[in-house]
Amino acid sequence: MSLVTVGIADLKVSNNPEDTLVTYSLGSCIGLAVYDPVAKIGGMLHYMLPDSSINQEKAEKNPAMFANKGIPLLFKQCYSLGADKKRMIIKVAGGSQIMDDAGTFNIGKRNYAILRKMFWKNNVMIDGEDIGGNCNRTMYMQIDDGKINLKISKKGMVEL
Amino acid sequence: MSLMEEIIAAVDEMPPFPQVVQRAMQELADPAYEVSGLVDILKVDQAVTANILKLCNSAYFGLPRKVSSLKEAVVYLGADQLRQLLVSGAASKIYEKPNEGYAVFADELWRHALATAVMAQVLRRHLRLKLDDNMVFTAALLHDVGKVVLSAFVIDKYRAIESLVEGGECSFQEAEKEVLGFDHAEIGGKIAEKWEFPPEIIAAIAFHHEPSRASKELRLLTEVVALANNLAVMVGYGTGVDGLACRGHDLLLKKLNIVEKDLEGIVLLFQIEMEKTCDIAGLGES
Repeated sequence: MSLVTVGIADLKVSNNPEDTLVTYSLGSCIGLAVYDPVAKIGGMLHYMLPDSSINQEKAEKNPAMFANKGIPLLFKQCYSLGADKKRMIIKVAGGSQIMDDAGTFNIGKRNYAILRKMFWKNNVMIDGEDIGGNCNRTMYMQIDDGKINLKISKKGMVEL
Repeated sequence: MSLMEEIIAAVDEMPPFPQVVQRAMQELADPAYEVSGLVDILKVDQAVTANILKLCNSAYFGLPRKVSSLKEAVVYLGADQLRQLLVSGAASKIYEKPNEGYAVFADELWRHALATAVMAQVLRRHLRLKLDDNMVFTAALLHDVGKVVLSAFVIDKYRAIESLVEGGECSFQEAEKEVLGFDHAEIGGKIAEKWEFPPEIIAAIAFHHEPSRASKELRLLTEVVALANNLAVMVGYGTGVDGLACRGHDLLLKKLNIVEKDLEGIVLLFQIEMEKTCDIAGLGES
């Protein structure tokens, strides 16, 4: 088994059954894992911000930083390996917040809201999610069976 | 010995902030510093010398030829780069001690400290704050130094702290205070006092979870460090067992009329800077 790290503002796809994709320390960021169980192809995205309109230049250089650029790219890269849209299993984790009654630090919420909006527009259903709260999460995806495990602060390991 | 006495004893046992670094910082504080004088101070510490040469010859600077003399490297790097290198070199050694009490990964405290320092610098520049950049960097980098000492004590009391945090009403720092009688920020302030840091830095470390407790003339730096800590935690850089159970301090944002989109812009600038810093510091993405 080899562990493939998906960094912050990064995405990876794989069709190697030996691989486990992992992304660490999801706070307000979102980890999106997609998997085609027939073709055994999976991908994971760790994005930081909802919308690339704040900096087009950075969006060109690193689309994985933004939901609106990274999400389509993740699907495209899986399709190019042979995954089929109709079979995709979609799981989402992250979007946490620090303790803030005023809602000033709500990038996590906005990161999640844009994902919901994009999925709704494109008829994509979410098959599992663990969102919000004030914990941090590490997300693992096994490419051989698509199993998603989350390591959550204060809770430990859970399967999503 | 009471718990407080034990912890005070642990603070006393903390190694001093490296003298070479402190002397070099004093020298660098004078804009007309003498390169040869600085080289004399630095050369007695082989690790420091090696680090300066390593940074100077790193891919980040992309120099066409190898720099092998300390003097040349000091001239090339300039005062700001040197200060940051010296402070972060000293701080990384302090943070990278085993700290099972807080960290999820071995270098987690250090990553968080570095992210907070980078975030604080981005805030200072982006918001055009009238603060000395090196002061901002040093205070932010050392803001969690109290965790290094408290770590050993937190292990024993961890369950009690955790159960308070689980309720969702209590931040990790508030739970520390409830269970231990004091928190890592206070202990950090005591360490900074022992190191004879300037009052601004002592206040910023001691009150980074309660910036309104800093006296008025010291408050701006404290607010910057508090906000930088919030944002670094939020984004997920180096959160340990405490997760995101940290209370938000938006006083500075309100004062400066910063709205959601600006905050996203700040996170973006931070990420660009942080990637560069990780390259230099040899910290891979993890």
